[in-house]
Amino acid sequence: MSKKRQITFSLVRGALAILIALLVAMLLIFISAGGDTFGAKLAATGEALKQLLVGPLFRVNTNGVSFEGKRLADILAAMIPTTFTGLAVCIMFSANQFNLGAEGGIMLGAFVSGIVAIYVPMPPVIHAVAAVLIGGIAVGLVMLIPALLKVKLDVSEMVCSLMLNYIIMYFIKYLMNAYYADKSKGQIQTYPFLNSSRIAPLGSSPIFNSAKLTVGFVIALIAVVVCGLFMYRSRWGYQIRMIGINQDFAKYSGMKVGFIIVISQLIGGFLSGAGGGIEMLGRYPTFSWSALPGYGWTGITIAILAGNNPLFVPLAAFFMAYLQKGCDMMATYANVPMQLIDIVQGVIFLFFAAEQFLSKYRQKLVVKTAQEEIAAKAALAQEGGNANG
Amino acid sequence: MAEEYVVQMKKIEKVYSNGVAANQGVDFNLKKGEIHALMGENGAGKSTLMKMLFGMEQPTSGEIVINGESVVLSSPSVAISKGIGMVHQHFMLVPSLSVAENMVLGMAPRKGLFVDRAKCVEITKEYSEKFNLHVEPEMRVADIPVGMKQKVEILKALVRGAKILILDEPTAVLTAQETQELFKELISLKDQGYTIVFISHKLNEIKEITNRITIMRNGRSMWVYETEKVTKEEISRLMVGRDVVLNVQKDEAKPADTVLKVRDLEYVNEWNKKMLDHVSFDVRKGEILGIAGVEGNGQKELIDMLFSMDTPDSGSAEVQGKSIIGINQQKIREMGVSLVPEDRMLYGIAGKATIEENVISDRSGSKKLNNGPLFNMKAIHELSEQLVKDYTVLCKSPKQQVGMLSGGNIQKVVVAREFSNDPVLILADQPTRGIDVGATEFIRKKLVELSRSGIAVLLVSADLAEVMELSDSLIVMHDGKIVAYFEDTKKLTDEEMGEYMLGLKEQSPEEIGRVCHE
Repeated sequence: MSKKRQITFSLVRGALAILIALLVAMLLIFISAGGDTFGAKLAATGEALKQLLVGPLFRVNTNGVSFEGKRLADILAAMIPTTFTGLAVCIMFSANQFNLGAEGGIMLGAFVSGIVAIYVPMPPVIHAVAAVLIGGIAVGLVMLIPALLKVKLDVSEMVCSLMLNYIIMYFIKYLMNAYYADKSKGQIQTYPFLNSSRIAPLGSSPIFNSAKLTVGFVIALIAVVVCGLFMYRSRWGYQIRMIGINQDFAKYSGMKVGFIIVISQLIGGFLSGAGGGIEMLGRYPTFSWSALPGYGWTGITIAILAGNNPLFVPLAAFFMAYLQKGCDMMATYANVPMQLIDIVQGVIFLFFAAEQFLSKYRQKLVVKTAQEEIAAKAALAQEGGNANG
Repeated sequence: MAEEYVVQMKKIEKVYSNGVAANQGVDFNLKKGEIHALMGENGAGKSTLMKMLFGMEQPTSGEIVINGESVVLSSPSVAISKGIGMVHQHFMLVPSLSVAENMVLGMAPRKGLFVDRAKCVEITKEYSEKFNLHVEPEMRVADIPVGMKQKVEILKALVRGAKILILDEPTAVLTAQETQELFKELISLKDQGYTIVFISHKLNEIKEITNRITIMRNGRSMWVYETEKVTKEEISRLMVGRDVVLNVQKDEAKPADTVLKVRDLEYVNEWNKKMLDHVSFDVRKGEILGIAGVEGNGQKELIDMLFSMDTPDSGSAEVQGKSIIGINQQKIREMGVSLVPEDRMLYGIAGKATIEENVISDRSGSKKLNNGPLFNMKAIHELSEQLVKDYTVLCKSPKQQVGMLSGGNIQKVVVAREFSNDPVLILADQPTRGIDVGATEFIRKKLVELSRSGIAVLLVSADLAEVMELSDSLIVMHDGKIVAYFEDTKKLTDEEMGEYMLGLKEQSPEEIGRVCHE
């Protein structure tokens, strides 16, 4: 298929996916919308959709529509942890290792970084960097458990890492209860992080006046580029991908398959841990998470949407964050029940991820291109024949 | 006279989702009770056409008529219900199940809630006897030799009521004797009214067994002939559009120092069968040593040992004086050993990766291709473009997915990689199996060229003509043992080889011992 047709197809497919998802969402919202008359229900549905689509970026009220920089900043801020988990999952999945440990990883990274931020005084900046790195390394080391078990004993990394998430969560809860909780507070939380460890907000310009959008966003984008280079421009990334495609081939080619599999999960662990540290030190004054934050699961969705390509992770992360924000807006301003929000989110994601969606239309384009190519070749051959003759 | 055809495929077009137009207006007809050869180079569209007849792929346009009735073969199960059976080149069997279980898969006889194993075995035996195709019903498919797997596949189709059998390169994996056996079966099936489509690259076999021939080229069906009215040379010319010289010209070998030295290798496999029995031989610089033998007589195990995919029970193997037993593939490659693997789809390539990514798999860490921590992309592009050119890989660009290429071109990619990393020893395991005449010729020439430039080549091939023609000297393996050594392959005849390969004759230890050049 020609480049132009491919782009056309992607655009048509994306637009149609959103359209269909919106229709389904509209139907669901309509059913649950308040109001006694058909007209009232319809109006409520329209309001909800407006919030879902434009709410994430614009304030919609009687005066019209106005751009809200803070909301955009919130969306970008929400991308920080999920970009890191998305990258982590990309790299582990690329090696065909279905390690689901990014979820526990981001919690453990946040916790370890938090502890370093409280108890190990260091000069500013260095403190934050050290805390995040230590958080990342700690999680990287923990990921050695599923990785080595897989390589040495052929234990399923999927099951192992999945269970590991809960072990990590309860272990952190135990440590919090037993040792690190600030007993003077009503809820279970640590003492506050030292100021030297804080990750600063990106700036206080009037457009981006969100305290949540920190330097971490820039670091996340840098991580995207580094991971992209690593996966597509370095021998280790190359080997990870080859192992993911055909492990027997990799072994026969002389790659150290076991070693690379371990490395991929070490890197995945490091990324999710560092992401946890950046999120924690940028956004929270103390560590108070008592459950898995969900960023790891979102990371898996993002990696699948991005086709395991690190460079597409920010786009997928933005899409997920936008969707989340739109749903929040819908819940807040349009009285759509929270349960419905999950369904709407699911429907939109479903159509985006459905690979076979519109495959017949794609096949038609492919056939057309192929026929054109054949005709062109025949014409060329004819010309050549004439020239020779 | 349309009624005489059991199958008519009319104006079939097929465009794959990757944009490859594999069939362009193909017409294909089968008469009842004939053996019909389907010929063409790899990538000519034979497999695609047959996949559509077996319902594995849907035509983009065109019509399929079976027994006078226009049908839509939306899946293999529909095709099976219309009496069509297919034996694939890459067998479609469940390795962990027994032969009998594979035979009745999806239609297993039941005893209450469970599969009636005794009945499975009984059915298998019944069909095995009826069609005189010998199989071991109770053995696991993973444990049986290739020849038997094929028989299981044929029986599987017959059990399901197939009247039209499609055999995709059935003889590629068989020895001369096994092939003859298969031909007898096929002829007897034909006499019973079965219709057989026979896909093969081997002209002799086509002449011997088929009634009619359809020749395809570039996705089109070009010619249909009565087999007896066309010569081998004509077929070959029609297929490739030029005369193919299958006789490889080669100079006299001038063997020098020993490169590979194998002594007393022994290996008993996990089912207690002795696969290697005191195997000793040398391969010297500048010579091609061939290993002939019926498949499953230890050749696969030998190659596994020499590339450390497995470890022998005892014995030694050295390359230029250094042991290659029990070290990893990276070290073996560092010592200059290359392997063209028997199973190219499993070991030879990463199908979803690009050609470029496939040709650098053994040297991704080399200094030439790296700039510090990152790849030197320019060097990688240059290398891959050079290799694609040198090895005439037919592709749009080196960025194309390898898995989308035809079998012959895939093998060229494998060979390009394995031949271009300055090897001292090349292990070539079935290097031309199942690929088209053009690619076969190319790879054979390359092997000869490399050996004459001073590389040691160990060639394992089930293709007797290939191993006899290419090798300077030759050993024959039977039952895990070397049973014969021929210093000069020129005077050998097929019949003589056959006797050694089947274990009817065996040379004296002294004669065999001459293969160790000490």
